[in-house]
Amino acid sequence: MMKRFFLLVLISFVFSSGCSKKESLLTFAVGGAPNEVDYWEKLIGEFENRTHIRVKLLRQPTDTDIRRQSLVTPLNAKEKDPDLFLMDVAWIAQFAASGWLLPMDPYVKKDSFDTTQLFGSVVHQVDIYKGEIISMPVYIDCGLLYFRRDLLKKYGYSTPKTWDDLLQCAEKIQGKERKNNSGFFGFVWQGAQYEGLVCNFIEFIASNGGNIVSKAGSITVYSKENIQALQFMRNLIHKYQISPPNTFTEMREEEVRTFFENGNALFERNWPYAWKLHNSQGSPVRGKVGITLLPKFDNGRHAASLGGWHIGISRYSDKKDEAWELVKFILSYETQKKLCLNLSWNPARIDIYDDPEVKEKMPHMEVLKKAFESTVARPNSPYYTQVSELLQRYVNAAISGKIEPNEALKEAQRGIEKIVERYHE
Amino acid sequence: MNREIREAFFFILPLGIFVLLLMLLPVIGSFWISLWQDVSFLPRKFTGLGNYFRLFKDFQFWQSAGFTLIFSFASVTLEMVAGTIIALVLNESFRFRGIMRGTALLPWAIPSVIGARIWQLIYRYDYGLANYVLRGTSGLSVNWLGSSGGAFLSLVLADSWRTTPFVAIILLAGLQSVPQGLYEQAKIDGANLFQRFFKVTLPVIKPVVIVALIFRTIDALRVFDIIYVITGGGPGGFTTSVSLYSYKYFLLGDFGYGSTVSIFLFIIAFTVAFLYIRAGRFREAAL
Repeated sequence: MMKRFFLLVLISFVFSSGCSKKESLLTFAVGGAPNEVDYWEKLIGEFENRTHIRVKLLRQPTDTDIRRQSLVTPLNAKEKDPDLFLMDVAWIAQFAASGWLLPMDPYVKKDSFDTTQLFGSVVHQVDIYKGEIISMPVYIDCGLLYFRRDLLKKYGYSTPKTWDDLLQCAEKIQGKERKNNSGFFGFVWQGAQYEGLVCNFIEFIASNGGNIVSKAGSITVYSKENIQALQFMRNLIHKYQISPPNTFTEMREEEVRTFFENGNALFERNWPYAWKLHNSQGSPVRGKVGITLLPKFDNGRHAASLGGWHIGISRYSDKKDEAWELVKFILSYETQKKLCLNLSWNPARIDIYDDPEVKEKMPHMEVLKKAFESTVARPNSPYYTQVSELLQRYVNAAISGKIEPNEALKEAQRGIEKIVERYHE
Repeated sequence: MNREIREAFFFILPLGIFVLLLMLLPVIGSFWISLWQDVSFLPRKFTGLGNYFRLFKDFQFWQSAGFTLIFSFASVTLEMVAGTIIALVLNESFRFRGIMRGTALLPWAIPSVIGARIWQLIYRYDYGLANYVLRGTSGLSVNWLGSSGGAFLSLVLADSWRTTPFVAIILLAGLQSVPQGLYEQAKIDGANLFQRFFKVTLPVIKPVVIVALIFRTIDALRVFDIIYVITGGGPGGFTTSVSLYSYKYFLLGDFGYGSTVSIFLFIIAFTVAFLYIRAGRFREAAL
């Protein structure tokens, strides 16, 4: 009743404003840094020339939450545009459970599209919902440890394998470097209250044998391993003081990247995108940076949070076949290689990593491929956002020193149980 | 109905339609949504006041409501005091008064997100202006946004900086309507500066003060942008305003509960505005 009334009002508005007839286009929502969106513009041009399908690029901003919001609104209203869009791994479960994503299985079958070319573990963890393929990975991200090769060499240290190695090395070198640079810190990572903190948290706990998704699939954060790891994160800032005091207020990806890039840190936890920027013209650390897997505790494993963006087709799209054509184009060897070489995005296709040109121009891809094999996914549940909100708050409170790690995780556990009770089907 | 009233009604009609369509309908729509379990990934069902019961038991919500009220009180108080002083100064005649008036209005003319970015850069721990000055004078660095109190004061300061000019300009308009003769009379009666302000100026500009208060309080209760930019609700969720809280539910896809939080905010803002209008006794002032 209400809906019909709103519709009526809306229609009367549209008619009175004298809307002109428009050719309907395939609408593709893409966000990111300006250079990335510009490059998409170019790729889409090639696609148009080849297929004669006209595409309208819906430019979205860089901020992940805003990108998400500008998709949630039209999808919830069952709008036919955008027809397809990129999604962060963390949203896919919500989008899928809301029934907004078109299962791609019929298309995959019809075109005998080879999904084994994509990282199997990623597709398995993220893109399959209730047995159906509802999205495809476009590029993959995971947490890495960046280090200053020159400084390790100068003081005679090797690349750290465990958190203990990292701690000792950082304390020593930080002390020495402080003589020339009072703002020098051993290790920078993302601790501000936002999604990135959860990614860091998951890496720390998984490297201590902990996790937040139990074997039975329920979400559990209150465990001995997790408390220890959280205590370690807090100690990095307050006790060992190798991470700056603003870690828990301001440190997000870009703050961490610029901090390291200006030569003020020995180790950095960041996503692969920082590699190209660290080694760009004018960067003070150009050519002095190495990457490796994130360290582990004695009883854990090397762990890297799985990030990256996936492409999905809207269930309400009026151009589903054309949308699938674009998906195929984006996942083609050619396009994936271009995205890799031009934007240094890490291809979702495994075969690109063995491409001779890619290997020659981007030797670090080898480490990345190894890191992608040790990824940990965030909980794949439709109410993950809610769980993440809660974790961000409690983990941040714990590392800021406001509450004890033990208490923080106990409270978080209680909150998570409430969320599950409310949102579980 | 006589002709006069009919005509008056006719003149009010466009405004009435405008208010109805653009203001009342969205509120009613939100209220309607708040009565449902409207989660994008769960079956939609009518729950009546279920969301409201949940709200009353939601500790996080009360924490953020408490923060929002204290924040509004602190920043509106600061803005009113500072705004009054600036308005009184700008009301005096001195050289370059026009330029001064224009300059004082500048922060208000800056889009609030940009203003918030500026303050974010000032508070930055490593290269922020505040710490730059502090390091130069005392060698210390303070993590301004790191403690609850620090984050709170930083936000109040940033908000007041931007909106004090708004208060000042409204009060300035009020001050200009005070008849100069009243001051001369008060002077002859031997009233000093403070007596003149509290006994003459304030009563005359009271309706204007109330208007400024209403605007500022409602705005402060809805605060979103500066918090989104400067602290993101941190540290540890301490600075999550009610708007930010409801926004997070919209992101999750829980439109029902998000609307409930918004409706609650609407009720608070409406009550505050109502109380102010009662306190202002506009009818008397108009006579």
